[in-house]
Amino acid sequence: MFSDLSAQKQGSSLLSRPASEDQGPVFERLSLAYSPCSERYKVGERSFTRQYAHIYAARLMQMRPLLSERAQQKWDVPIRKLCDLQTGEQCCIVGTLFKRMDLQPSILREISDEHNLLPQPARAKYISDTDELILEDELQRIKLEGRIDRDKCVTGSVIAIYGAERNDGKFTVEDFCMADLPLQTPRPALSSDKFVLLASGLGLGSSQADSMLGLQLLVDMVTGQLGDQGEQSGAATISRVLLAGNLLSQSTQDKDASTKPKYLTKKTQAGTVEAIRLLDELLLQLVASLPVDVMPGQYDPTNYTLPQQPLHRCMFPLSSAYPTLQLTSNPYTANIDGVRFLGTSGQNVSDIQKYSSMDSHLEILEETLRLRHLAPTAPDTLGCYPFYQKDPFILEECPHVYFSGNAPTFESKLIKGPDGLEVLLVTVPEFSSTQTACLVNLRTLECEPVSFSAFSADDDDDSEMNISH
Amino acid sequence: MTTKRGLITESFKVVKKARRGGKREKRPTPSPPPQKEADTGTVREEELQKLRQFDLDWRFGPCTGISRLQRWERAKLHGLNPPEEIRYLLSQTHTDPEYNLR
Repeated sequence: MFSDLSAQKQGSSLLSRPASEDQGPVFERLSLAYSPCSERYKVGERSFTRQYAHIYAARLMQMRPLLSERAQQKWDVPIRKLCDLQTGEQCCIVGTLFKRMDLQPSILREISDEHNLLPQPARAKYISDTDELILEDELQRIKLEGRIDRDKCVTGSVIAIYGAERNDGKFTVEDFCMADLPLQTPRPALSSDKFVLLASGLGLGSSQADSMLGLQLLVDMVTGQLGDQGEQSGAATISRVLLAGNLLSQSTQDKDASTKPKYLTKKTQAGTVEAIRLLDELLLQLVASLPVDVMPGQYDPTNYTLPQQPLHRCMFPLSSAYPTLQLTSNPYTANIDGVRFLGTSGQNVSDIQKYSSMDSHLEILEETLRLRHLAPTAPDTLGCYPFYQKDPFILEECPHVYFSGNAPTFESKLIKGPDGLEVLLVTVPEFSSTQTACLVNLRTLECEPVSFSAFSADDDDDSEMNISH
Repeated sequence: MTTKRGLITESFKVVKKARRGGKREKRPTPSPPPQKEADTGTVREEELQKLRQFDLDWRFGPCTGISRLQRWERAKLHGLNPPEEIRYLLSQTHTDPEYNLR
């Protein structure tokens, strides 16, 4: 792994006299074949006149054949539509889940209840004991009971259920299944270790000034300015950097600016301007030595609804001159040396966290992979462009590395499936709070965190960089 | 907490779109084609009837907000076998707004 590589000659070359007058050894940066496949997340014409019914219809149309096949394999019973359901008959139904939640914020309720209600408080979780699970197909809906974990499910997931309708019109679920992992194209065997560095949540422009040192250490480590020759040769194996969203801090989003009158804000500069300039300077250091993919996130200056479109080049006057700067869309997908990466900046995962009992980002990430859908809660509680032709968030091909950004902690897991299928799940921690990035080895699909600790108020140790396991 | 503001319609005048009228025509079940009319009228009426039947077919998903052709193409894409006849009709009459409505 990476840390073994860099620990080979720990400090030895730094503690000795320079070998000769001229430059030390030059480490070639390994380059990778790269092909972006983000076309499906590009929004061409933007028409917001359509309703969201289309995206649910298209989702069900796309998922129905897959789920019918799974259901046939699993239970040998007829697959029924809700309209020709017979009471008491054991059967299987394919449909979209809807969870009716009392606590779900609803603008209509706030307006229609004419008691001048206070706005509902923001909560960490919007689930409650009175939630009801409902399955919808093209025409009807039915309430679900029985062996299905109500709190774990989220609105918008397409599943197949097995059971029977009771006399009171509710459906007793005995078992259910999800679309599960899609097919995967095998990944080529690589001859040497190559790494892709994933980082997210840089949080530039925040009020904490000390956050910059860790970031600078990260940049120096990647560009090979840190450590001795062993570490530098290790850094040369990092072939690509992927920044997964929230490059700017939440505090750059000035909520007052939109409500204040124009004449008061005319002379003030938006907080994002300074932060983007900082980002441009950081990116300049990176793109000068290796390719960098920049994904936008929740707080970045691009559109809010998924799929988020790439940040505009004109915001990076310094770094956009380099061809190594790739500004990408928010669900990100690309083939890096034959290894397929897919991931988001984390909005989909944190939204599911709010509307289900699942807490671990890694668990949610795995759940979305099994559901075969990147963002089931879009468009219900997550902003989403009103697609009508197809739902681009359905996974048609299984990625090799599936990640989500802005997680509270670093976690990773290797899932193995039939036919040698392997998926690495990574939750990329928020850098500004954890000072941690992670390195994915393209040869072995292993992943390890890289932490930077620096001076801080409660820490008297010297500034040190430790690349820990 | 809340400042009193005027209605939104004071700054933005209520404008009714002309196509609303066309949209409403889509829904009511059309009366059987009148027998006494000229042939062209009957053919047109029959074709429109077929298109309305297509609109009402729930298997092909919701029909508001997209054109008939877009809806037909979506159904084709997802392997739902929409009738070829509809596509033919739409391609013949793609300039006629009554045939292609959204």
